[in-house]
Amino acid sequence: MEQETILSEEFEITGGDFINGGMASCRIKNILKEIGIDAEIMRRVAIASYEAEMNVVMYAKKGKMKLILTPHRIVIKVEDEGPGIPDIELAMQPGYSTATPEMREMGFGAGMGLPNIQKNADIFNINSTVGKGTNLQIVINLNNKNV
Amino acid sequence: MSDPIPYHSIKVDEKKCIGCVVCMKVCPTKAIRIKEKKAAVNAERCIDCGECYRACPYGAITPLTTKTSDITRFKIKVALPSPVLYSQFGSNIMPDQILNALKAIGFDYVYDESLACEMISIAIEEYLERNKSPRPIISSTCPVVVRLIQRLFPSLVSLIIRMEPPREIAAKNLKKELSKEHKISEQDIGIFHITSCPAKMVSINKPETMEKSYLDGAISIKEIYNQLMAQLKKEEHNFILQTQSQASGIGIGWAISGGEIRGIKQDASVSVSGVHDTIRILSDVESGKIKNIEYLECLICPDGCIGGPLTVENRFLAKSHILKLIRKFGRKNRIDISYVKQLYDKNFFSFERNIQPKPFPPLDPDKNEAIKKLKKKERILKNLPGINCGVCGAPDCESFAEDLVKGEKGLTIGRCVFLGE
Ligand code: SF4
Ligand code: SF4
Repeated sequence: MEQETILSEEFEITGGDFINGGMASCRIKNILKEIGIDAEIMRRVAIASYEAEMNVVMYAKKGKMKLILTPHRIVIKVEDEGPGIPDIELAMQPGYSTATPEMREMGFGAGMGLPNIQKNADIFNINSTVGKGTNLQIVINLNNKNV
Repeated sequence: MSDPIPYHSIKVDEKKCIGCVVCMKVCPTKAIRIKEKKAAVNAERCIDCGECYRACPYGAITPLTTKTSDITRFKIKVALPSPVLYSQFGSNIMPDQILNALKAIGFDYVYDESLACEMISIAIEEYLERNKSPRPIISSTCPVVVRLIQRLFPSLVSLIIRMEPPREIAAKNLKKELSKEHKISEQDIGIFHITSCPAKMVSINKPETMEKSYLDGAISIKEIYNQLMAQLKKEEHNFILQTQSQASGIGIGWAISGGEIRGIKQDASVSVSGVHDTIRILSDVESGKIKNIEYLECLICPDGCIGGPLTVENRFLAKSHILKLIRKFGRKNRIDISYVKQLYDKNFFSFERNIQPKPFPPLDPDKNEAIKKLKKKERILKNLPGINCGVCGAPDCESFAEDLVKGEKGLTIGRCVFLGE
């Protein structure tokens, strides 16, 4: 199952920093462009990683986003130190959100974050411990032509 | 017009270029390097935005538009002025006068592009209603934005509206009608866009969405300005202020940013202008950051086409003139909506073929090699001073590092004046 890692990069995410929120996913996007990942796949990674990053910015104290590239897939791992999600099934429902009115005012927290990640991922795993934090694993397969 | 068709609409005049780095610094796609004290444009990366032309202090960058003398090879010569032209002669000269002046200087017919703009506004609304494809749908009017998306945001190509811009639609119509009326071949009819940007030449010479453009050239407003001014002066006393031009404020409004969305009833539409803001919003669209927007109008020039590189009038005054005209001509449609819908049903507005993504090549065609080069680039970048002075001939340290790992001929790290040989 585990494949040889050919690239691994890690980025810090600061909770509450809406100004710089999105920087990590933007860096990932640029890296993928530079190594010639297919545009459609790149866009799915960009969208999923942006949503994941903004979840950390919105709800957690801090977090880390890791990009792992193997010959057949792109893996994004996000770990945060935050409140955790008590009911994952509920959180995965489109439109469900615990965002504050201020966040919504800024256009965040429409409750589409997790469903949107899932929509763009080939495999999506989520683990959360209330009071400790949330771990996401997003896997997007590369086409054959990318191998 | 026997010279080879230029792939790009700008050329560096090596006699005038002193290699000062100004153009290299402003190029949004980092297409320019200074090689042997001269600016060299990488044709793969250039999107014809004209930023280098605007910035060059020595007039060394030349736009390659159609010369007025080139039009004589056609039996019937038609001028198709962009509504921008109406903003160039002060606020007392009306569109009709300008159209007449164009005729007086040698065109057999003059067609007001703003009519086609109004038509396209109706067609865009129709498109938004009928197509439930992913949003936002992005305007195809500015040829530079189309190239920018192909190059820098290839994953967004499918969002571009599959509809030709007004200049092509107008020309298509004119060719058909005039050839019927005069019983001559379409090839004998020359249609020339009077334009605010050299990029139109690229979309005419190398169209992305059709076999052959319906336009036969683009004449720069700068090139034709003096002639028109002289004509307008001469005939000034013959004109009483008139507003009977067929155009409406909707069509004329296309000259400024926001004009396209002003004509459509979609509330959730956004207009952006200027190269940096356009890049920023497209980058946000790519990340999925922009939600709930139906239609996105992007124009590469500041404030839209009135800020085009080939205009003469100060763009703030030009904007004020256009706003005045919009008020004067009103918001009422002059075009028969059901006629536009009929044409729409016949696919009259549609692309003949889809736009293809053309991403910049990666650091290496082989993924593993590309990753090696990426890491090497990061190592080199750590050693460089990071002040982006441009003296090495690359626009910033990152581009220099990239050129190094790509194995640019004869390039060594010693080119950096801070590190020395
Ligand atoms: S036209 Fe634009 S993209 Fe092309 S070289 Fe000049 S500044 Fe760069
Ligand atoms: S904004 Fe208008 S003038 Fe400027 S490049 Fe685009 S189409 Fe040409």
